[in-house]
Amino acid sequence: MSDMTATSASVGTLPDQFIEQARRRPTAPALLWHDERISYGDLQEMVYGAHLYLEQLALPEEPVGILAKKSPQAISLILACMMDRRSILLPSVDLGSDTLQRLFQQAGCRQVFSLSTTSPRNLRCEVVDAAPAEDRSRPHPPGATEAELMLTTSGSTGIPKIVPLLLPEIDHFTDWAGARFNINDGTTVLSYAPLNFDLCLLDIWTTLKRGGCVALVDQDRATSARYLVDLLTTHKVHVVQAVPMLYRLLIDAAQDGNHHFESVLHVIVTGDSIPFCTLEALPGLFPRARFYNVYGSTETNDSFIHEIDISCDSARRRIPIGQPIEGVSALVVSSGGYVVEGPGMGELWVATPFQTRGYLTEVLNDSRFVSYRSEVGKRTYFRTGDIVQRHSDGAITLEGRTDSYVKVCGVRISTQAVEQVILEHDEVLEVAVVAVPDDIAGKRLHAVVRRNRAGQLNSLSLRRHCARSLDRAAIPSRIHIVTTPLPKTPTGKIDRQRSLFNQDEEIK
Amino acid sequence: MTDHTRTIKEFIVKEFMPDVPVKQLETDYDLLAGGVIDSLGLLRAILWLEDTFQIPLHDAEITPETFRSVKAIDAFIEQMHHRVNAT
Repeated sequence: MSDMTATSASVGTLPDQFIEQARRRPTAPALLWHDERISYGDLQEMVYGAHLYLEQLALPEEPVGILAKKSPQAISLILACMMDRRSILLPSVDLGSDTLQRLFQQAGCRQVFSLSTTSPRNLRCEVVDAAPAEDRSRPHPPGATEAELMLTTSGSTGIPKIVPLLLPEIDHFTDWAGARFNINDGTTVLSYAPLNFDLCLLDIWTTLKRGGCVALVDQDRATSARYLVDLLTTHKVHVVQAVPMLYRLLIDAAQDGNHHFESVLHVIVTGDSIPFCTLEALPGLFPRARFYNVYGSTETNDSFIHEIDISCDSARRRIPIGQPIEGVSALVVSSGGYVVEGPGMGELWVATPFQTRGYLTEVLNDSRFVSYRSEVGKRTYFRTGDIVQRHSDGAITLEGRTDSYVKVCGVRISTQAVEQVILEHDEVLEVAVVAVPDDIAGKRLHAVVRRNRAGQLNSLSLRRHCARSLDRAAIPSRIHIVTTPLPKTPTGKIDRQRSLFNQDEEIK
Repeated sequence: MTDHTRTIKEFIVKEFMPDVPVKQLETDYDLLAGGVIDSLGLLRAILWLEDTFQIPLHDAEITPETFRSVKAIDAFIEQMHHRVNAT
């Protein structure tokens, strides 16, 4: 392993740029965590401490797992591994133990670091032997040792898939994101997503590479509106990127306390569709900000961006995913396998300069990564599984997922398209539509809908709304209207199955 | 509002939209287009009709149109009662 001051990484890479920031501006703030202000100099010390610790362990040159919630210690450990060009698998801490074990084995991680909760200041790692005895001699999977960072997909449709990212792709993305959202020294960026989430490539890693300051949201307090309001108020944040849930929490809290956040200049909405009543309240909350809808996936990273024009987008009741980011090539492919030119509907295929070179488990790549020669040359496209509509003005809107289609009374219906229609109602804050088996209809749709507390919405008025846009079979058979927030996954997306389960339990 | 209309409305609200006040359900609201009564709902509604109004439905022609609205269900009950009284 290399010495951290004479890293083998080329000039301009994320770890090198971090070191350069710490050398030039050691007293500048790098991280804000609870009441602590950690400067670039402090963080470099922590990284150096982690580096020495790793050296003492004399680990072989192989990937390691890091199982940690977001904290300065976890960030310094990741940076230390990056300095050493050691591959890291960074899964969600909320995954089940069997799934974690399987992921660590797939990545060839025989050592897993989890941060000691008893000594928050000093980095101490518990080394967990992840591999059973019979696996110790197994070679590392190809791609695992070359990757800088291995993230995982959310696993909402099965076991999470490992997505290796190499330094050139990470650097390409962080350079784009920094320039696009003007992240430089003097910029404070809120980091809301958990550490394992791809959004951190912007929140944390772009910011540290470019000398900005990251205001870290404690994952354990991510749903506390008062904590979030305090954090944004105290730290004068300039850039916020989050799933719609954060904005809803802030809007609800702001109604009580008449808060608004003057310092925020860029608001990025990502990860999920934002309801219109949330969107329309954003300018009041962030009076000086520009608003963006950003579309991407762990596999490709950000690929489309749309600058939101609140009045224009509200009028059309649909927020487009926007235009491909510079260097991104996108295709709309019909169900028959033809590339759709001009207006039309199909699956979105995307090739980005930031994308992974494929899942770690190669057998998974065949159906998802496809080589195609377009007018820009031959590139590897990622089949997103998202069904999109390209409109006559070139705007692209999400219509559903290839895997969200169900048959109800013989009619093919996208549960996401149903959710989208329900979200277009003014009083709807959140929605989960789930297909449940039915002897007669094949499937029936159940919807759990969170409405505005002050509103009058009931299932009858919502049915009237749905009937204007949806096929009859697509109107949910059961509609539960609630006023409490729907359960969320660790990444802040709506947990559909649990939303329905909670309602069923209540009825019992 | 006839007695039947009220009874039909109460049944529909209780079974299919318990969060809705009975008075909000209009007699001509399209229960099929609104997805209130689907195939499973249709079976429940037929059983309820037989039990509540003592209508022998085995030889009656029932289509989804019978359950199009509260008004349609009411008309069907009237029609069946006439048929029973005529025999």
